[in-house]
Amino acid sequence: MTDSSEHIVDELAAYALGALETGEHARVDEHVATCASCASRLAEYRGLAGALPLALAPITPPSDLWDAIRSEARQRRPRVRMRSAIGTRWLRVAPWVAAAAVAAWLVTWNVRLQSELAQYAQGPQVEKLARRPARLVILSGAAQSQASARIFAAVDGQSGHMAISGLPRLAAERVYQLWFLPKAGPPLTAATFTVDADGRAWVVIKVPADLDDTRSLIVTEEAAPGNRAPTGPSLLEAREWR
Amino acid sequence: MSIEPVADPELLGRMRLGDESALEALYARYGGLVYTLAQRIVGDPELAREVVQDTFLRSWDGRDTYDPERGRVPWWLMGIARNRAIDLLRSRSHQARLRERAAPPPEISTTHARDPADTVVARRTVLDALRELSDGQRRAIELAYYGGLTQTEIANELGEPLGTIKSRTREAMERLRKVLGPLIQSAGGRTS
Repeated sequence: MTDSSEHIVDELAAYALGALETGEHARVDEHVATCASCASRLAEYRGLAGALPLALAPITPPSDLWDAIRSEARQRRPRVRMRSAIGTRWLRVAPWVAAAAVAAWLVTWNVRLQSELAQYAQGPQVEKLARRPARLVILSGAAQSQASARIFAAVDGQSGHMAISGLPRLAAERVYQLWFLPKAGPPLTAATFTVDADGRAWVVIKVPADLDDTRSLIVTEEAAPGNRAPTGPSLLEAREWR
Repeated sequence: MSIEPVADPELLGRMRLGDESALEALYARYGGLVYTLAQRIVGDPELAREVVQDTFLRSWDGRDTYDPERGRVPWWLMGIARNRAIDLLRSRSHQARLRERAAPPPEISTTHARDPADTVVARRTVLDALRELSDGQRRAIELAYYGGLTQTEIANELGEPLGTIKSRTREAMERLRKVLGPLIQSAGGRTS
């Protein structure tokens, strides 16, 4: 991020207060994405706006409000877990149907992601997209320059999906392997996979380490069914993610 | 400033793991301020309740995620609450909007019986900073933040040129920034 010579302080003040005209947000987002000075100023203005209610005469919330929030929070939490449990059972009962549905969903997701990424080459839109609903890691080609992959890490921090394209098909005794390289400790395997005739694959992965404790992710080619540590060159890699 | 037993970002981290006590602690810290803000914007206890509930549930189920680069946790929560309240305000009848817009400016805050000392200081600091602004500057900020008006709408409302409203808003925010900068950036300043 670099400083831009032309700052937009008027718009930043209005933005932080929610008073920007319709249609101006994209222009400000774009500027802030490339101007460290304005990004910092906007963060300060947002803090100021958030602190304004301190000047209001405090009103005590209704005594039963917390109970209502807790009750609703409990309903939402089991629903997430229940959906996961049902999903697992469903996968066991009808693996082919489930696999087709997951593949269809991932194709849709990937197409939409590609479309949105193409539309918003940079800036907060991508940032927002990458945070919905968990974390997004984009791997780009190292030894395989035409290849790319996107990892969508689930909210639970332990699983995810990876969409890959541009890798060559492998011989039967070979597999691709995804590795997390922690800041400390040995490489951790996250998935082994092969690609279809078009060089594509959609893979369910496990997330073996917190991304915040990981220095890079790489994909290598290994002997089937996979190795305990990477032996081949890095074909795809990512060093930054959100 | 008092030392917080658990930092706000840590509470959010525990919430992501489903720790209900972290949500309760966050509500205990900021529920009152969120409710006060919501009441000021929507002017209706039932709607304010809805705003508070939605704000904390959004932080709980991950529909809104906290980004430390964009400021402290309470200012993030206020942003969610303000946007929800303005959405509700805009969805109501024009008459209701007019009535709320005609509401008196925020009362001067008095010390709340349950306020911890650091909150008393924070409230006093913000009040003093707002008093330093001109009436026109303060009005422009209030119409934007609490009224949900765009700058063009504010200019129409006050019968002033758009450029005047823009410069007034910027000058006001700059003056507030100079006075409130330490409060905004400090790790303390817990509010209730």
